[in-house]
Amino acid sequence: MSEPASLTSSAGEAPRGLWDDAWDELKRRPIFWISAGLILVFILMAAFPQLFTRVDPRWADLSLSMEPPSSEHWFGTDRQGRDVYARTVYGARASIVVGLTATVLTTVLGGLLGMIAAYRGGWVDILISRGGEILLGLPFVLGAIIILSTFAGAQSDAGPATIMMLVIATLTALSWPMVARIARSAVYAVKSADYVNAARVLGAGPMRILFRHLLPNALAPIVVYGSLLIATFVSAEATLSFLGVGLRPPVISWGVAISESGDFIRQAFYLTLFPTIFLCATVLAFVLLGDAVRDALDPKLR
Amino acid sequence: MGRYALRRLLQAVPVVVGTTLLIYWMMWALPGDPFAGRCGERACPQDYIEAMNAQFMLDQPLLVQYSAYMANLVQFDFGVTYNMVPVSTLIAQALPVTLRLALIALAVEAVVGIVAGVIAGLRRNGYFDTLVFVSTLVALSVPIFVIARFAQWGLGVNLGWISPTVSNEATWAELLVPGAVIATTTTAVLARLARTTIAENLRADYVRTAIAKGLPRSRVIGVHVLRNSLIPLITLLGLDLGSLMVGAVVTEGIFNINGLGGLVYNHILRLDSTVVVPVATLFVLIYIFANLVVDLFYGVLDPRIRYE
Amino acid sequence: MALNLPDENERPEDRSPLLEVEDLHVEFRTRAGTAEAVNGVSFTVDRGETLAVMGESGSGKSVTAQAVMGILDMPPGAITGGSIRFCGRDLLGMSAEERRRVRGEGVSIIFQDALSALNPLFPVGWQIAEMFRVHRGASRSEANKRAVELMDRVHIPDARRRAGDYPHQFSGGMRQRIMIAMAIALDPGVLIADEPTTALDVTVQAQIMELLAELQEELGMALILITHDLGVVADVADRVAVMYGGRVVEYADVFDAYRRPAHPYTKGLLESIPRLDQVGSDLQAIGGTPPSLMDMPLGCAFHPRCHYRRETCVTTPPPMYTVGPERASACHFYQEVLDDHGDR
Repeated sequence: MSEPASLTSSAGEAPRGLWDDAWDELKRRPIFWISAGLILVFILMAAFPQLFTRVDPRWADLSLSMEPPSSEHWFGTDRQGRDVYARTVYGARASIVVGLTATVLTTVLGGLLGMIAAYRGGWVDILISRGGEILLGLPFVLGAIIILSTFAGAQSDAGPATIMMLVIATLTALSWPMVARIARSAVYAVKSADYVNAARVLGAGPMRILFRHLLPNALAPIVVYGSLLIATFVSAEATLSFLGVGLRPPVISWGVAISESGDFIRQAFYLTLFPTIFLCATVLAFVLLGDAVRDALDPKLR
Repeated sequence: MGRYALRRLLQAVPVVVGTTLLIYWMMWALPGDPFAGRCGERACPQDYIEAMNAQFMLDQPLLVQYSAYMANLVQFDFGVTYNMVPVSTLIAQALPVTLRLALIALAVEAVVGIVAGVIAGLRRNGYFDTLVFVSTLVALSVPIFVIARFAQWGLGVNLGWISPTVSNEATWAELLVPGAVIATTTTAVLARLARTTIAENLRADYVRTAIAKGLPRSRVIGVHVLRNSLIPLITLLGLDLGSLMVGAVVTEGIFNINGLGGLVYNHILRLDSTVVVPVATLFVLIYIFANLVVDLFYGVLDPRIRYE
Repeated sequence: MALNLPDENERPEDRSPLLEVEDLHVEFRTRAGTAEAVNGVSFTVDRGETLAVMGESGSGKSVTAQAVMGILDMPPGAITGGSIRFCGRDLLGMSAEERRRVRGEGVSIIFQDALSALNPLFPVGWQIAEMFRVHRGASRSEANKRAVELMDRVHIPDARRRAGDYPHQFSGGMRQRIMIAMAIALDPGVLIADEPTTALDVTVQAQIMELLAELQEELGMALILITHDLGVVADVADRVAVMYGGRVVEYADVFDAYRRPAHPYTKGLLESIPRLDQVGSDLQAIGGTPPSLMDMPLGCAFHPRCHYRRETCVTTPPPMYTVGPERASACHFYQEVLDDHGDR
């Protein structure tokens, strides 16, 4: 068995080699380029919606209420006579901002806490691990429904930025324990490895040991998990907004748009269709990217 | 086994306490008036406030409050709605429908997910594997509320194959499509896991031994590979219950099904957390309990854990 | 169900060797290229004989064993040439069903790592009993009884009680005994032991080798012992096939090979073991590294590491020269190697 295995394994042990190999692997996959391209378009859309439309998404002309798609309004208009194409383009911002910010916060917070738990051990470990376990006991969208609906009533006058922060904070608060668990076990595995002990003996401080020696080991699994997390968050944000506990008008968001269009699904299917396509394309792009990253970084699964 | 079960039970206690305390704290003990904005657009009625104060001892210290809350919870008393209907009554009415729906969803998930994943894993890179890969990709990319909307519109409104809304009786037949909708995401996740697990197990040393023993292929796969692949799949089935529940909230809402999910959905729309939070809490407790059962079952399936 | 094992009373001239491997070629086709893992291997073994197959990892010895056993991962592996005959029947030309029956009944195998080779989720007794239930159609109770007998036979204490235990509850040596019990369950003609003791403690290694020798004597089976432990080879083997770079480079009686090796690689291997009778002399390690199967040197595969290297070695791959009766070497200059060792 060992012979064929040694023929095919090309992944090096050093972290540097792992990332190089992963990049080589990614470069060769068309799916990676397709998803990365799609994501780039959506990020551009989120950052500079003006590049895609000159129409003000909030401009309402009641005389144009519920116009089907035309050369004037590519995706038609909604009940208030607003341009659906513009609103769909502007809707990217909410999904991308929530998805990316929540993912970054979750991986950084979870990664740090997990590494600290493994490195310090003792009561710090117990506190972080047990605390995480409690949060993992909450299925995460359900937990978000509980948290956000208790806040939703109390903060019904909140502005768009506050609402968005609240959604991001909720998603992060409920998801960091999984990342922490991954980071903890990755660090735990090498915590007493010779090279770490050597660094300690040579007088490296805890910060240096954590970031220089332990982080590289935890990074790959965290990146894999994080890249799969973005799609989950984008989808969760849309679901929460659809339910009415996430983003709410005046925030322009695909989830809100799909929710609002539900009453007119018989007369004006296009109202539902276009935000749906954009939402699903975004989630799909992130799922594909996450898959590709996982396959590249985790040779075992190839 | 006994010791493993006991330890696992003891481990669940802090999780239950922690989770309920957390929910409780958010519900009643956050700074500010706990009744502000609780009952939707208007202020909470005075007799509701009085009833809740009496039941949950809201003027007492936090620990007393929480004990009262837990005591109520253990007796399945979740307080009253603002128009003084006990939440437990609403739950009792909704439970049978949701149970039926959950059984359909779990059956769809387990059967479709495992069968598709196992076949794909056995014939990797074949035609069927590609089909499974593409369909799981689609299922993972389309949020359940979108699928529910489209199923309702396509199958219900356009084609007229199903009724767009489910009647009050909520028969098995009526719940079939909503149940399948709820299960889409988890089915895809399960199929993918089944595929990789089977593929990994096929390469395992003990499978090589089984082949070397001269066992027929059907027995190598049917007994050895499947038995060993079952453990992660069952674990996932438990963890997936969470997303099944969220799916239930959305789908029951869209198909107007009078189950627990519909209860949550409709009261979210009214911003009425007097019902949302207790029912969601019930979901969480069911989730924790189900995963406890899965873990115990895990011990039955895996001797390495049983005799730890 | 019974396989036509050669009858003891048959006239000798009718009998072909029990297992005969001829000019076997195995390739692995991967994305990185094609590797010739086994490149023209031939050997025979007969009842009661022990053949040791020696070589570094990557020399193709385990792949050869897997090809004989019919458990090669295909793809990426592929048998591209040669024949494997068991009792005169060509294993490679058989139907899948016939081939399956030979596994366990005719030829069986034990592996290096018994822990991963046993199924973790079934009791060991059940795993042994499975042989009787599948191949012999035995009832559950009959098969269990036979399994306990076998566990007794490989000296597992308290066999009846332990039959219900799981692999992880046994020590490494006991697990290997269970593997052996499973392998000899159906009284196979050939037992392949693929580095059976590498993962074990030294004292346990000796016990396992003793058990194998004992069983071979009782059952009269042929034993193919794959190892890189030269001491073990000297103790138990009758003949030895030394493999290098996917080829058998020397094929000889153990006594001959040890006394007067006919290939520089064998010679190097022998010089790399410490000898009590030459205390104080330097140990000779073989310089250089084993070749990559993806990128075999032209000519003789061993030439980059060889002291006897000449121009020919770099350009022409050596054939198997017949050195003596039942003795062959793949070295252009085997005579020189033999002569060098005459004084030892």
